[in-house]
Amino acid sequence: EITLRSSDTHPEGYPTVAAVEHMGELLQERSDGRICVEVFASAQLGEEKDTIEQTQLGVIDLNRVSLGPFNNIIEETKVFSLPYIFRSTDHMHDVVDSDIGQDILDEFQNHNLVGLAYFDGGSRSFYNSQKPIKSIEDVEGLKFRVMQSDVFVDMVDALGGNATPMPYGEVYSSIQTGVIDGAENNWPSYESSGHYEVAGYYTLDQHLIVPEVLVMSKSSWDNLSEDDQALVQQAARDSMPVMRELWAEREAASEAQVLAAGVEVIRDIDKTPFIEAMVPVYERHVTSDKLKDLVTRIQAVE
Amino acid sequence: MELFVLFGTFTVLLFIGTPVAFCLGVSSFATIIYLGLPPVVVFQRLNSGISVFALMAIPFFIYAGELMVRGDIARRLVALAGAGVGHLRGGLGQVNITASVLFGGISGSAAADASAIGGLMVPQMEKRGYDKDYAVNITVVSSIIALMLPPSHNLIIYSISAGGRISIADLFTAGILPGLILALSLMVVAWWVAKQRGYDTEPFPGWRAVGNLFLSATPGLILVGIIFGGVRSGVFTASESSCIAVVYAILITIFVYRSLPYAEFVAATMSAVRTASMVLLVIGSAAAFGWLLAYLRVPAQLVEIMKGVSENPIIILLMLNLILLFLGTFMDMSPLIVITTPIFLPVATAYGVDPVHFGIILILNLGIGLCTPPVGAVLFVGCAVGKLPVATAIRTIWPFYGAAVATLMLVTYIPALSLWLPSLFH
Amino acid sequence: MLVFVRRLSSVMRLLSHAALWIAAVGLVLMTAFIAWQVWGRFVLNDTPTWTETSSVLLMGFFILMGAAVGIREGNHLSFDVVLYLVGPKTKAVMHSLSDLIVITFAIGMIIYGVTLASNAWNTTIPNLGVTGATAFVALVLGGILMTLFSIERLLRRFVGLHTARFGETDMGKD
Ligand code: NA
Ligand code: NA
Repeated sequence: EITLRSSDTHPEGYPTVAAVEHMGELLQERSDGRICVEVFASAQLGEEKDTIEQTQLGVIDLNRVSLGPFNNIIEETKVFSLPYIFRSTDHMHDVVDSDIGQDILDEFQNHNLVGLAYFDGGSRSFYNSQKPIKSIEDVEGLKFRVMQSDVFVDMVDALGGNATPMPYGEVYSSIQTGVIDGAENNWPSYESSGHYEVAGYYTLDQHLIVPEVLVMSKSSWDNLSEDDQALVQQAARDSMPVMRELWAEREAASEAQVLAAGVEVIRDIDKTPFIEAMVPVYERHVTSDKLKDLVTRIQAVE
Repeated sequence: MELFVLFGTFTVLLFIGTPVAFCLGVSSFATIIYLGLPPVVVFQRLNSGISVFALMAIPFFIYAGELMVRGDIARRLVALAGAGVGHLRGGLGQVNITASVLFGGISGSAAADASAIGGLMVPQMEKRGYDKDYAVNITVVSSIIALMLPPSHNLIIYSISAGGRISIADLFTAGILPGLILALSLMVVAWWVAKQRGYDTEPFPGWRAVGNLFLSATPGLILVGIIFGGVRSGVFTASESSCIAVVYAILITIFVYRSLPYAEFVAATMSAVRTASMVLLVIGSAAAFGWLLAYLRVPAQLVEIMKGVSENPIIILLMLNLILLFLGTFMDMSPLIVITTPIFLPVATAYGVDPVHFGIILILNLGIGLCTPPVGAVLFVGCAVGKLPVATAIRTIWPFYGAAVATLMLVTYIPALSLWLPSLFH
Repeated sequence: MLVFVRRLSSVMRLLSHAALWIAAVGLVLMTAFIAWQVWGRFVLNDTPTWTETSSVLLMGFFILMGAAVGIREGNHLSFDVVLYLVGPKTKAVMHSLSDLIVITFAIGMIIYGVTLASNAWNTTIPNLGVTGATAFVALVLGGILMTLFSIERLLRRFVGLHTARFGETDMGKD
């Protein structure tokens, strides 16, 4: 009887939570009920930074987390958080499914973690309350809320906008009152936060397509027999296609709801000037040979 | 068994008089060791628990309150209240309650209200022939108003204890009507008791005097607008607007009123540090305790148990209220908020109670606990400023408790009293 | 022994004064940082990105320094109903037990604070660029002060000197 405790900051029913629960069902089935997974949703055990530490310590066994909090721990993960590093969601899937993805998962070993699988986190694009952004010139002077990270601040500044870090919960009213002009996020968050009600122009520039990871505590991993390790690894892999399907459904539902509310979506923009504007950002943040090499390899994936 | 270790250790330590922060921390520590988990997680939770940006509003509001009490703002508000309602029956009693409404708008602390308003009002009331118990009773119970009206750092503690996912702006807005209803019902009781005892009224000083006093109190009243308007409109975060409250209080008391000498400024800062660090350490250790509650699935189990007791939300809310009132008589407010929110909020939401509504019920309920023996910080402060034995004060306090409990029942069973005002902003 | 405890007490008083002043300066700096953040956003149109992270760090500092001083001054929140019901001897035993419990937890703060700091040594705090270990310095320092102040309380009670009790604010004379 092994119960694997898993943490997630998203609520019950969210694709990531459902995917880990699905993985638990697979495990229970394949182990004849010996191994099960218990998901603690809605950040019950803490925010991601804290639960990562708890996983490293072996207090919790599994953890579904974004790559962002790992950027300051595992250098290689930074490459996925670079703006416009992926051309599309398909490109991202191809990269994480390739040996590049596996190489980066292997890095977690050095930090008391075992990287099991990649999940989708959607693609983030800009929305604002002022005007449809159809070219890079339209970004000029707009104030965008970004997550607390140097790369994202530099990205907005490089596009000519004005980066304003602030807590997520403050964004709605800040757009409403004009403190900021907009923010950036994926379809589900754009919808569930209600930001589309106050920022009705959504430009699908897909500047960030950051995958998420399912990691396991190294000590919990070592406590498993080799056969069970294989079971867990396989169940995690098998949850990925389910996750991608659930995510696509969720995205489509959010998109439909937002469109019904009359939001103007700008779909086919020429991303080339946006990508070119990132040259100084890459120069500043892609400094080590390791990162430079990874960037080249990712760009080479067709 | 794990739960027995957690709650057993907590209760034993509490009874031998260990500070609450350490009861929470050490009982979590003991349980983690019992479970065979690495103890470091307790201290990680403690450290993360006190490293939350939204938490900053608590020391700032406490600091702003200290500056205002020491810097003459409270006295001006009392003078304004005196001119406005002194001519009603039970005159200075009504003034005391109205002053709590005005002061409550700039302070979130019932104890600060009791000491500031009570310190000014009780001697004045005594001089004018009011019985001391009447003066102290009103001072004590009316100070709950400060908890309900924005800003209330206790509502921020509630929001953080609930995982930071409840809008502080909504909580602040939700407290307004219940706070005013409490004030009104206390004024009715004050009027009734005054009639029984044949107390005098104050002469109406005339509109010109009211106008002058209003002008003199305006800088204090503007603060209400800055804090509430700032948080409500989203122009500032709660932490930012509380910081602006501090800066504003410094500017007004030092440069406009010139009522806060350097020594008093230092004393206010030190006092804020003492109070805030004590409250915040409890919040930090409660983060460890709360983590264990989640890990051991206590809220989920409690919901199951309650479901077995009754499916009726009216009965469940009554039970929760009784439990909270009982706990409130024994313990202080902020530790109770941080301990009970993770346990009771899931129960309340499982029965369809809105988290904002539950927050107002919780604060009002625990506020009443502050005024009741055996452990009632506000009762003690009120009796101390009135130099009246606690036993004497509580002999005649019952009508005022009655008004507060009646308000609690109204607030509990009419959700619209809490939820209607915030809904206007959505 | 009495002489030694009195001398120790005067050192501890200095230490506690210093901690209180550090905490107070922390609170004032925190006010200044957040005020600067608001000013930057509204007036300079350029939000400083370091203010939020650094004031959260400062807050941890002032909480743990202030809380340590609170141990010495005995002004932490506690439940003292039972204390009123027992005789002076039992009361002294209960007080000493409380002090020992505080010491246990404070030593935990030191040991595990060091563990957390060394785990975070190679990480960096975003927007500040300092090592992640910084976030745990206050925890360790607070633990050290709490341990020292609690030992002082035990010794004072042992030689028959007054100790401020939780719930009372009077430190008494040395
Ligand atoms: Na208030
Ligand atoms: Na009480």
